[in-house]
Amino acid sequence: VDDGMNGNAWLPLMVVGSALLPGLIIFGLPEEKMRLRTVLNLAGAFAKMIFTGWMLWGVYHGYQYEMRVAFLPGLDLVLRADSLSLLFIALSSVLWLLTTVYAIGYLEGSPHRSRFFGFFSLCVTSTSGVAMSGNLITFLVFYELLTLVTYPLVVHRGTEAARRAGQIYLTYTIFGGTLLLLGTVWLYSLTGTLEFSPQGILYSLDETYYPALIAIFALLIVGLGVKAALVPLHGWLPEAMVAPAPVSALLHAVAVVKAGAFGIVRVVYDIYGIDFAATLGVTGPLAALAAATILYGSLRALTQDNLKRRLAFSTVSQVSYITLGVAIVGPLATIGGVVHLVHQGLMKITLFFCAGNLAETLGVHKVHEMNGVGRRMPWTMAAFTLGAFGMIGVPPVAGFISKWYLGLGALEAGEYWVIPVLVGSSLLNAAYFLPVLHRVWFREPPDSWPAMHDAARDFGDKETAWALLLPPVITALLALFAGLLASAWFSPLEWVQLIAQRAFYHP
Amino acid sequence: MNGAMTFNSLLLPGILWPLLLVCLMGFKTTRALALPLTPWAALPALVAAILLTPDEAHWHFPGLLLGSEIGLDAAGQVFLLLAALLWTVSGVYARGYLRQSSRREEFYVFFLLSMTGNFILIVTQDLFGFYFGFSLMSFAAYGLIIHDRSVAALRAGRIYMILTVVAELMLFVALIVSAGISGATTFETLRTGLAVMDPTDRNLVILLGIAGFGIKAGLLGLHIWLPLAHPVAPAPASAVLSGAMIKAGLLGWLQLLPLGLITLPGWGTTMILLGLTAAFYGVAIGLTQRDPKTLLAYSSISQMGVMTMAVGTGLLMPHAWPLILQAIAFYALHHGLSKAALFLGAGLAGSSDRWQQRWIWLGMWIPALALAGAPWTSGMFAKQLIKTHTLHAPAPWDALLPLLLSISALATALLMARLLYLLRPAARSPATAPATGLIAPWAALLLAVVLTPWWFATAIDAHEMNTSLVLDSLWPVLAATAATCIVLRLDLFRSHQSVPAGDILVLLSHTFKLLRLSRHTGYVPARFSSGWSALQTGILTCLTGLVMSAKKMLQQMENYLSRWNVALLCAIIVAVVATGFSIGFIGINTH
Repeated sequence: VDDGMNGNAWLPLMVVGSALLPGLIIFGLPEEKMRLRTVLNLAGAFAKMIFTGWMLWGVYHGYQYEMRVAFLPGLDLVLRADSLSLLFIALSSVLWLLTTVYAIGYLEGSPHRSRFFGFFSLCVTSTSGVAMSGNLITFLVFYELLTLVTYPLVVHRGTEAARRAGQIYLTYTIFGGTLLLLGTVWLYSLTGTLEFSPQGILYSLDETYYPALIAIFALLIVGLGVKAALVPLHGWLPEAMVAPAPVSALLHAVAVVKAGAFGIVRVVYDIYGIDFAATLGVTGPLAALAAATILYGSLRALTQDNLKRRLAFSTVSQVSYITLGVAIVGPLATIGGVVHLVHQGLMKITLFFCAGNLAETLGVHKVHEMNGVGRRMPWTMAAFTLGAFGMIGVPPVAGFISKWYLGLGALEAGEYWVIPVLVGSSLLNAAYFLPVLHRVWFREPPDSWPAMHDAARDFGDKETAWALLLPPVITALLALFAGLLASAWFSPLEWVQLIAQRAFYHP
Repeated sequence: MNGAMTFNSLLLPGILWPLLLVCLMGFKTTRALALPLTPWAALPALVAAILLTPDEAHWHFPGLLLGSEIGLDAAGQVFLLLAALLWTVSGVYARGYLRQSSRREEFYVFFLLSMTGNFILIVTQDLFGFYFGFSLMSFAAYGLIIHDRSVAALRAGRIYMILTVVAELMLFVALIVSAGISGATTFETLRTGLAVMDPTDRNLVILLGIAGFGIKAGLLGLHIWLPLAHPVAPAPASAVLSGAMIKAGLLGWLQLLPLGLITLPGWGTTMILLGLTAAFYGVAIGLTQRDPKTLLAYSSISQMGVMTMAVGTGLLMPHAWPLILQAIAFYALHHGLSKAALFLGAGLAGSSDRWQQRWIWLGMWIPALALAGAPWTSGMFAKQLIKTHTLHAPAPWDALLPLLLSISALATALLMARLLYLLRPAARSPATAPATGLIAPWAALLLAVVLTPWWFATAIDAHEMNTSLVLDSLWPVLAATAATCIVLRLDLFRSHQSVPAGDILVLLSHTFKLLRLSRHTGYVPARFSSGWSALQTGILTCLTGLVMSAKKMLQQMENYLSRWNVALLCAIIVAVVATGFSIGFIGINTH
């Protein structure tokens, strides 16, 4: 149980503040103060990493970090760092640092950078808030804040397509948010508390409330499912890929999509409690919905020629692994689902970074333009290859570990139908990634790349800028080592086993 | 003891050395350093394989993957020895073979990656390490197969890739089901778990295991990629594909199947039947081939059939398994060395020097005779070892198998005669490039083929060379020679048609090719006008229609779902349902 000694209550607030403060300052900076902006961004990212490391150490040794502020009568705003929130925080702080470096390289010389980095920091602020929310109302506040601060990032380019995508994004997410609010209020009217707790808060309720609880579950899941891109609520995600690459990377790997999936974990485990949810009979339909999303997303990815769009549909599919693992009752499946939060993040951010590098360096946006890019950009494409094999689930990349635990969990729970779903998903992943890899490594490169015609940036003999090259290489290595060293004490898998043990199954 | 420990510690560096070389090739500054070392990349592993003491070499890495075990038993040592030797010889051979190739570096990268995978799968005793090595080797070998980028190579590569992915997934299910039920992470505990498992689950695992590894091992029916891929790859790649990598499938069976623990009559009989059929089918199709390398690929299918049969007898006779395992390991070694020597020799046959050509042709006789099981060759001992154990198999196999094995030796001898006929100096137009730098590694391999029986004399001393044994192995060769002389003399089969490589795949692939063609251009070739082709065209049209409509349907569905008002509608429906529930619920409460 995460109820050990109390640690420094200010730490959660400092984690949130480490992104908020630089963000607010950057808004006020003039466009040309590039150096100061970079220093602020990086200082914030490093500060967050340090605070996160501190809390990781503390939580591992049984400390708990909690900050409570009165919000509404009977409802507090609670920021609490338990083992689950730290998993998400650790992921977001590492990827925020890398994405910041990447974004600095990516947006070099483009307009409105202060606005971009300001909202970028706010986006990370709200993600941290989502991760550390101690109750559903705090979660809701940060979740809505996340919607609002990502909108300017999606429409950053200001083109017609970007505005349209932004509109679709807002429509979907506002509706999701409304349903989530509705469900939350209704839930509060029944229970009088919204606190996240290890076995949920509902198991003591009378059986006559069960139909209402099922309805509330549906409302909450649909509300969260918009961001988690559950079919048929996924429509905004492939549209939102018009955003600049760092935004897509953050959206798909850490911030928006993950906030939805993380919310589902919280609702199933800490509001309903997994055993109670199984008693209600809501986990089965959720697992079925997740499985359908996994297959549908992959099927759609097959036919996309636009690389980022293909990756977006791949996200639709892969994020539902998390939901699937959550919805199968049993510790092994939970471990598989929750650890995929990190694994999918590492692999998908790699793929989006690489897609961004292709677009920025060579002007390549479409799959059919990728012939022979492996020879022009070997390191980028090596990272891409690792990410793609991870998505297929080939060891030793991290995706294999998730798939293995999901499969073991399905067997443990007697849900044998999950195995064919996993196999089908791997098959489809292979079908839409391997032909790309064939093009990349084995086709002859064209005489000239698309970007050479407009010559926006010239990299000469270099593969690309360092700031663009290092982040995908690092994330690819992280994805590799998260799988290769999956049983080492510092691996995400070990931490997730700690979560399952402490919070979900032996409270 | 102390010395043995030191030698054992050579194993890990030996296996990781090729991986290090790949990393060095990645940087411009170190590439020049790595490139000259690459042909010799397998040498450290070879030294380790020769010097280490089996069963004593064992390491446990709890942090690696989901817990890794590394170690070798006596059979594993033979597999490592074979693999390391072939990778060394092929690496050195490739240096000369690809001297003028513009894609030499690319070749070496995939060569090194496949090599690493091959070594890893041999030395790891846990499921995850093995699966990792197997995947790495399988995916990297694609780069070797399509090296030439010819139409045939790309087609072979595509089919290889599809089957590789299918194999990966079959093995994933086999491993996860068996691990999930038995809780095993190493093969040793997995086999014990399988032995006591519920028969339904066990049959699923065994079926998927046999098929999944069978794809790699060229099991009958799943062999279709093999005669396509082995001939199109460059000769050094064919040598390791057919000599070393094909054995990974066999090793997979040995690791996964509960051999020596329980009797599985159904599976044993199935394996024996599949193996025997393959042994003759491979020769039958192989005899019709004109391309020596395709012929050799079919010979591999036939020889793997013999090993499949031996695994089948192991499933029937668990008590005899330790001895059968020894026989299989030796057979694998014998076949791997001979087959690689034949592939490398076939790659040399285009030498421009007439004298050299003659000598190379004579050299080819050594592995050819060995494969045919001629007296005093490794083949004689290998076949004899297998045959001895089949004598104790349950009826009717105890009578049938020795006889069929002898006939299979005759068939192989015929196939080898056909090969030597195809490669005869007069039939080959001299190539432009002289074969310098290729002879030395090939000669070393020939030496290994010759010495193998004497090196392993201790293992086979139980079967001392008596006259009956020599006679037993002599008559198939003599009979085949006689048959070949008659055929050549009477000029039979001059105008026969060769069966297209890939045999049963041909119809299927035709349909696929047409499908691709017609999808892009709407074109259906006119020459397909017979009834057979009409059937194909019919199937094709149906398939095209299906694919197109499925694609369209998916697109429409997506368009529909992507309209935000549909999402809104969904949301409203949920809200209405929720409200309905709540009204019902209030109703319940008020009553």
